Amino acid sequence: MVFSIDVQDLMKKFGDFTAVDHITFQVKRGEIFGFLGANGAGKTTAMKMMCGLLRPTSGNATIAGYSLKTQSKQIKKSIGYMSQKFSLYNDLSLFENMQLYGTIYGVKPAILKERIHDSLEDLGMDKYANKLVGSIPLGWKQKLAFATALLHQPDIVFLDEPTSGVDPIVRREFWERIYKTASTGVTIFVTTHYMDEAEYCERISIMSHGKLMLIGTPTQIKIDMKVDTIEEVFGKFVKR
Amino acid sequence: MKELGMILRKEFWHVLRDKVTLFLVLSMPIMLVLLFGFTISSEIRNAKIAILDHAMDSQSKSLIDKISASGYFQVVSYPENETGIDHDFKSKGAKLALIIPAHFEESLAKEKIATLQIINDVSDMNVASLLNNYIRSVIYDFTSDYNDLADDPVLFDISVKMQYNQEMNSVYMFVPGIITLIMIIVTALMSSITLSREMETGTMNMLLITPVKKVYVVIGKLIPYMLLSFICTIIILVLSVLVFKMPIRGSLLLLLLLCIIFMLTSASFGLMISALVKTQLDAMMVTMMGLFLPTVLLSGFLFPLDNMPYFFQLLANVFPAKWFIIALKDVMIKGSGIQEIWLYMLILFGMAVFLIVISLSRIDKRRKK
Repeated sequence: MVFSIDVQDLMKKFGDFTAVDHITFQVKRGEIFGFLGANGAGKTTAMKMMCGLLRPTSGNATIAGYSLKTQSKQIKKSIGYMSQKFSLYNDLSLFENMQLYGTIYGVKPAILKERIHDSLEDLGMDKYANKLVGSIPLGWKQKLAFATALLHQPDIVFLDEPTSGVDPIVRREFWERIYKTASTGVTIFVTTHYMDEAEYCERISIMSHGKLMLIGTPTQIKIDMKVDTIEEVFGKFVKR
Repeated sequence: MKELGMILRKEFWHVLRDKVTLFLVLSMPIMLVLLFGFTISSEIRNAKIAILDHAMDSQSKSLIDKISASGYFQVVSYPENETGIDHDFKSKGAKLALIIPAHFEESLAKEKIATLQIINDVSDMNVASLLNNYIRSVIYDFTSDYNDLADDPVLFDISVKMQYNQEMNSVYMFVPGIITLIMIIVTALMSSITLSREMETGTMNMLLITPVKKVYVVIGKLIPYMLLSFICTIIILVLSVLVFKMPIRGSLLLLLLLCIIFMLTSASFGLMISALVKTQLDAMMVTMMGLFLPTVLLSGFLFPLDNMPYFFQLLANVFPAKWFIIALKDVMIKGSGIQEIWLYMLILFGMAVFLIVISLSRIDKRRKK
């Protein structure tokens, strides 16, 4: 079995502080993998290393078949990323934001135009293609950012708390999109602090103090821990 | 290349859509030139002067006539002794006193030398040095008139030669200064703010996650502001030539080349600042304190460097503005060519290269830490 994400003994130290403490795990192709943990548990640091934004202190990972240490350029081309903070440009239009990211990911102009068109139509935002992103609601922005991260057809999408700050209806719609995307074979790696969302994931892992505490399907974890919800599992680790 | 083109388009969108900032940036040079040009006139007319004439002979009379006729001075008193001068400074508002020695005519004719003494009221240093220059130029006129008639030339103890700016036109002094300030504001300040803005909002991380070359991101940030400051420079030059009759004696091409090099230097300063700080506010503060203030104070634009303590004269060398202003004045006022100013251009270029190398390696280090 070739994994889409294969993290081996990854470690990151900032001075004396160990932010990520030797984590090892695998994610299958097309899987929706939830990466949970309290604030400061090391999720974002781990994710930044997997995306090539931070260099690991030790350990390695294979992302989309490429080695983090030696093939970071290829990794960058094969992944999409959507950040916790909404990170499109407010003073650019919907179309222009998508054009910007599509182009710097190397999508050919003609193909890109078509994909942007399809994608906006799918989102029901085609009428607003020339509106500035700053003028649309937050929920729209997040769906747009997700669509933008998919323009270059990556193998893996990293979503860093994609639904923070939006209402339940939009979150539901967002998750429908995640399922739809995963069904096409794209691996979804998502961090969240909404525990109900954790239940939507095929497998989850919980990080605490830089360490990976447990990993498995939500159902299996609940049975093992003898609890009814993931929230209770989470509470046990965060309290410690 | 397509990626770089896209990044550039994005940056131009940012610049062109921020209408308020764009308006401010473009109107700044116009306002500064007009303000400086019309309000800060460093020319003084009819300054009050006291003359202590120990000689009372025909030559001293003719010198005094010359001074009154110059238009710069108005003789308010003829004190009889040195204490009288002090009194006139205090009660008659005299800014300057001239002491003509006894036997002025005789010593001119026989000893071929004359010593004139000037006393300045230095409570306002700028006025004092200006008046000092005026009186020296009047005396110089007198000397040359006298020597034209005399068989043997007479040596005067005051020898001042005013060149390049005989009319002491203040436009000559402030135009290079304004060009420098605007370029620092637009290139260094604006580019450091926009770079740190992207870091602050997280869009920089988005860009760095993509396969796009890091150097494209940086170039994309710098070019629109360099272009904008170039436009500002042109506005300043056109205004100063049309409204204030400032000459451009040297080659215009050389002048523009010099400006482009300085733009690169200030842009790299902006780059270094954004590599050091984390937020827009910090970027602004550091640029203001670390670059803008030293430029105003230590470039020789407002305050002459020669009068500063040695330490500050040395310190001034570190900031690019000093070299730029010297070169700019040389080209505009003296009409110097490349052979006179190549060294300054090289210094500015060297600074830019040094700063770019330092900041790129720093950004890299911070990212991978």
